[in-house]
Amino acid sequence: MKKIGKIIATEKVPTTVDEFFFWTDKHLVLKPFDVVKVEHIRSSVTFGVVEEISHLTDGASFLAGYISSDFGEVEAKSNTQRIGMNYVKAKVVANSQNIYTPVLDGYTVSLANEEDVKQALGLKDIKNPLPCGVIEMYEDEDKITVPVHFNSHFLIGPEGAHLNISGISGLASKTSYAMFLLKAIQEQYIKNNPNESVAFVLLNVKGRDLLAIDETNDELTKEDKQVYKDLDIDVSPFKNVKYFYPYSKDVRTTTYADVKDVASQKKLNKAFQYKYLFEDDKESLDLLFSNIDDPTQSMESIVNYIISGEGVFNGVRNWEELKDEIKKHQEKGDTGKDKTISVLSWRKFYRLFRKTLERNKDLFSNSIKKENAEVRLQDSIKQIKKNDIHVIDIAKLDEESQGFVFGDVMRAIYDLKLGQITDREESEIPSKVVIFIDELNKYGSKDVPKNSPILRQLLDITERGRSLGIILFAAEQFKSDIHDRVKGNCATHAYGRTNAIEISKPDYQFVPPVYKSMLTRLKQGEYILQNPVFRSLLNIKFPRPLYKQFKNG
Amino acid sequence: MEKVLDIVATETNGKCYTSFRYCADEEIRVPTLDFDTKDKEISVVVREFGETDTDLNTSKNLKLLANKIINDEPLFQFFLDGSRRTYKVDDIEINRNVYPIIAGQIGVACCQRINASQFKSVKDGFEHNLVLSLPKAANPNGGDSTLFFNALTSKVNKTKRIEKAGINFSKILSYDSKKQDDGKKYEHLGIATIQDEMIETEKKIVAYLSTKNLIRHDRYLIKDGSLQYKPMRTGDFRELTRIKNHYKCAVGISKMFNPELCQDRTGKSNADKIAKLPLYHRTPAMKYKSEIVGNVFFAIWYVRIRETERTSSPFSGVLKLEKILITDDELENGLNSEEVDLITANIINERNPVCYGTDSRWANHLYPVYLTESFIKSKYLSDLNFLNLF
Repeated sequence: MKKIGKIIATEKVPTTVDEFFFWTDKHLVLKPFDVVKVEHIRSSVTFGVVEEISHLTDGASFLAGYISSDFGEVEAKSNTQRIGMNYVKAKVVANSQNIYTPVLDGYTVSLANEEDVKQALGLKDIKNPLPCGVIEMYEDEDKITVPVHFNSHFLIGPEGAHLNISGISGLASKTSYAMFLLKAIQEQYIKNNPNESVAFVLLNVKGRDLLAIDETNDELTKEDKQVYKDLDIDVSPFKNVKYFYPYSKDVRTTTYADVKDVASQKKLNKAFQYKYLFEDDKESLDLLFSNIDDPTQSMESIVNYIISGEGVFNGVRNWEELKDEIKKHQEKGDTGKDKTISVLSWRKFYRLFRKTLERNKDLFSNSIKKENAEVRLQDSIKQIKKNDIHVIDIAKLDEESQGFVFGDVMRAIYDLKLGQITDREESEIPSKVVIFIDELNKYGSKDVPKNSPILRQLLDITERGRSLGIILFAAEQFKSDIHDRVKGNCATHAYGRTNAIEISKPDYQFVPPVYKSMLTRLKQGEYILQNPVFRSLLNIKFPRPLYKQFKNG
Repeated sequence: MEKVLDIVATETNGKCYTSFRYCADEEIRVPTLDFDTKDKEISVVVREFGETDTDLNTSKNLKLLANKIINDEPLFQFFLDGSRRTYKVDDIEINRNVYPIIAGQIGVACCQRINASQFKSVKDGFEHNLVLSLPKAANPNGGDSTLFFNALTSKVNKTKRIEKAGINFSKILSYDSKKQDDGKKYEHLGIATIQDEMIETEKKIVAYLSTKNLIRHDRYLIKDGSLQYKPMRTGDFRELTRIKNHYKCAVGISKMFNPELCQDRTGKSNADKIAKLPLYHRTPAMKYKSEIVGNVFFAIWYVRIRETERTSSPFSGVLKLEKILITDDELENGLNSEEVDLITANIINERNPVCYGTDSRWANHLYPVYLTESFIKSKYLSDLNFLNLF
């Protein structure tokens, strides 16, 4: 392979077990994350990943530069350029014979080929391979592209689970990356895994993002298709997709989807409208108040009071009656109410409840017409089949209702996986369920009240979901906002483009400075990945999504 | 394990004192002609012009010419520098006299500027030699000392310490062990032999460059320091008169010169004129003959490449340029003034970049020469390493 420089070890900057330095020609284009290899003792080869590149001349000070231009003459020319070179700091990632003594001064450094890169980064002979993108390395004629695979056991269990994707809106394409991985998972399970199975529940939180994932993307370029082929992923959209829209008589009020699209999906029997019935869903009432600060736990008391059917609530049969009863409780002079809860608390509860109910009159309903493709969300999810994808649209709901639906979905999956469903054979239930939620910060941020039932549910999933087969794929703009236990339990982290304020947070302390500034420059479709199987952070690229994209959201 | 000094003591029937070893060099390298030369001998003015333009009496501004040629291929493409580092490694008693044992590292390199950003050492244009210098009295046999010292060299090279380090001594030099009348130290005599050896190596490399036709009329050589080589008693290049043809396209540039010795054609000191030389001006070239060199004539002139206000002394920023007069025409009429101008203008264009901050002589240093010097120094064994070979 092309030789590019030699190791430098000096008194002040020695080579170590972890890192080494080498010089290269100042015109050679290298970039952070490129892999280089170095000859080492006993005919072994040490591999390093480029971390920093610096340019150095023999100029002793800035002043020497100024003086060298005839004391500040911008036009001054010289016959000789100051002697200069680039020196590169690289992190040791592997040695072909597991010899980790420091590489020696004067040894030759060269570029790596595809095989070397795989060996260096631990991408060789990966068990249960699952494509996660490609690495592009070097420039011009030296350029190589290496497909990268996860060990799926470290992404969706049982060894490690949960994925966290962070990056700023639009530029990071978090949803696209999550969908790229989901597509790879679905395909792998359809093709190769007869004993295990997976199902997906996706929450659509923005526009029409995920409302046509079983339709083809006509704008896919040749290059994108080639990348899919290289990664052995079929160039086709998702299969077995069902869409769940919030119920309303006029679809337009609760979803961003086109009315015609919803109608045609309904015709094909893959779109449904979900509703909440008082009798079945009153237990989930607490989810409506998950983002309300409740230091005295009075909201929680009221919810328990209602759910357990105490007092007059025993006779309540629908949402409207419930509202009326609560209204009575918040009025002065009512004698029948529980004395432990103050009128003020009832008033607050009433205000919040009424607001949600009035906004979503149709969603909180009394009955379901199955022939009209109306469903109860919990029931549908509990019936999810292997390789099914359920897309639940919550984009147009208000924040409280969004939380309510998300919490409800999580509970349904939890029940399903905990064996709370009596009418299904164990073997029919998918062994893994992957939940994808964007804007995790709404539910799992550090600012969410500690007693929030949704946060509790999230913590349950991230901490115990791996063994149950519930896997969370979550995305957010700023990782630093997310609850430590939620992100701490994710085995895989994908970092998309972010901003300078974010990278100054402690979450990024382990990232070397050059990679940090790279994080602020990443292009769309580029991610920095961290996974237990990889020996270092990887800078990967992935192609455009395979499903229909809506330009205006 | 047998040590180098043990072998020297055994072979010379001497006794080593294991005295303190140290690097004998001063901070600044001693100019080429400092040893056993008397000041008055350096250059003797011949009352003739050193160039064809005989009307030039004061100085000449060459900034315009320098600007005109700045985008052309530079005249100077090769840069030669020699340096040596000397050490006193021990004292040896021979026949009741005590002499110092001097050791040295000699480095001579020629570098080529291929283009503005490519600066490379010329193939076969680099030598790094380790030498020892012993008193002549060290030869116990009398007669031809060359044979004795050659045999001693190979014995020294066979010691385990030297073999293990993967190096060898190229030569053992000898200095005069007669009693010195004028209080000259043996130590200096030893250093002088090493200096001579360095000069010999320089000449060898210039001869190589010239015979290989590497240096030619459009690719000149800058040699750091004076070209006024004194004749040697030994060696292939002992007399400059014989080898001067190799210097057709070579210019010697001295950073440091003794201003008291600057004379004009009338034999008067012109130190003041040089001190007041305006920026980018050159003096007229004068014809010199050096007594110590023999029958060789030089054209010598000065040029200022840095403003007086910016430098520490009136003479820093001024370079002394020397060129050997070779053809009959040159000997008779001096150098063609156009050539003098062209050389000077090219030197002016070599003024940037500067080694300010890394070398206190920055105002008089030319960057390619500085690089060549740095290259040589980078190849030296460290003082500690070298002193512990003995």
